[in-house]
Amino acid sequence: MKKSACLTCFFVLTLFFSMTILWADEVPFEETVLNNKVSDNNTTNNNEEDEQSEPEEADEMSEVAQIKDPLQSINRAVFAFNDKAFHYFFKPVYTGYNSMIPVQARVSVRNFYTNIKMPISFFNCLFQSNFKGAGTEMLRFVVNSTIGVGGFLDPAKSRFHINKQNRDFGQTLGKYEMESGTYLVLPFLGPSTSRDVIGLAGDAVLNPLTWVSWFFLTPIESIGNYTYESVNDLSIDTGDTYESITKPAIDSYIAVQDAYIQNRIKKVKD
Amino acid sequence: MKYRKIISAMCVGVISLAFMSTFLCAADEPGKLVMKTIDSGLTVLKEPSLKGPEKTQERRQRLWEEISFIFNFEEMSKRALGQHWKKRTPDEKREFVELFTNIMKDAYIGKTDTYSGEKIVFLREKQEDNKYATVQTKIISNTGTEVLVDYRMLSNDGKWTIYDVIIEGVSLVNNYRSQFNNILMKSSYEELIQKIKDKKGKEEISAK
Repeated sequence: MKKSACLTCFFVLTLFFSMTILWADEVPFEETVLNNKVSDNNTTNNNEEDEQSEPEEADEMSEVAQIKDPLQSINRAVFAFNDKAFHYFFKPVYTGYNSMIPVQARVSVRNFYTNIKMPISFFNCLFQSNFKGAGTEMLRFVVNSTIGVGGFLDPAKSRFHINKQNRDFGQTLGKYEMESGTYLVLPFLGPSTSRDVIGLAGDAVLNPLTWVSWFFLTPIESIGNYTYESVNDLSIDTGDTYESITKPAIDSYIAVQDAYIQNRIKKVKD
Repeated sequence: MKYRKIISAMCVGVISLAFMSTFLCAADEPGKLVMKTIDSGLTVLKEPSLKGPEKTQERRQRLWEEISFIFNFEEMSKRALGQHWKKRTPDEKREFVELFTNIMKDAYIGKTDTYSGEKIVFLREKQEDNKYATVQTKIISNTGTEVLVDYRMLSNDGKWTIYDVIIEGVSLVNNYRSQFNNILMKSSYEELIQKIKDKKGKEEISAK
């Protein structure tokens, strides 16, 4: 009974999202709502870049994103909190974890999570009408779940050279020309924008783990699960991405913000 | 019928070879230069006599000697300051280039301390009217993570130098320009210089 309810919910929600996406260019209701919000905020915006003068750099300048950051004071506070959380909680935890668990095991755990989360990239490929990508994801899922022993190994990549498609819902919204909106720093989750927050919600719906934790786990267990997943990811990355941006920066808040926005623009363009 | 197949196969072979050769010729200048420099850098990192934490300073120095010539730090500084560059006196410009070079050196040479056999692969290169070029490469780590790194290059009388590095779509120069612009919007140029110097000082203290 529970199972069928879960499945129906999942099906209805995905259908709903795919429908909204399919109609998105005709009735861009989310977009207009967001744009209104942004234009309200524009008056308080103090982060807009001045007009650029050097003509020979015009090509470069056009690539620089206009970042809307009216909530900078709050964002900076959350950023400082996240930085402390990273240095005093996550870093010691993953360093300890690193010394106990060999790297191959950690990569396997990551593979397992990636395999389970296949619907995220699969459906987003479909939404972006990237049917080849969707096929690739499906093939990867089948290969890795069977030959790859339930997703712990990644033979699809190592043997058949089928690379993972990293697609998320924020990117999908971007592809339908939704503006990235206001820059936000979320506690623990880090940099985001108003569009990508909607994206996170969309991805959560597409993520089977959300449904598993909703129906079968207590809140504490699901928090534990998410923490474990992110610690494991961090342990493979060894916090390099974060520290290589913040360490050489003069103003690490702006450095992370700019890196996030630039990276998102690239992902939407891909 | 059989002959036809063989002949068409040969034709395809010859044509693709012709295409390949032009591609290989085009890969001559900037791409080759970047890969050659990366290879010489990797040789230093792999050198057994320079391994270990006690050799860090020596290794960094050697690496810097091998690769620094390919970077155009003046162009990087100019682009990082953006519209503020023009307002600076020649002396200020010289000082800024020196400070910016140091930031780059500390940040990115320091990153190589944790080198553990990552592979760097050449992907492709694009050239625009003999003056600008982009060389695309990929870093593959031991855990299979792939990072795209693009080098933006500029030709000065046929001498190619790097003026920007783009890691997964994040331009290094744009990143610093955002920071500098943000600081310069609220405070003066002198304060910016002071901030950069303070950072350098802090790092030296923490290194000791």
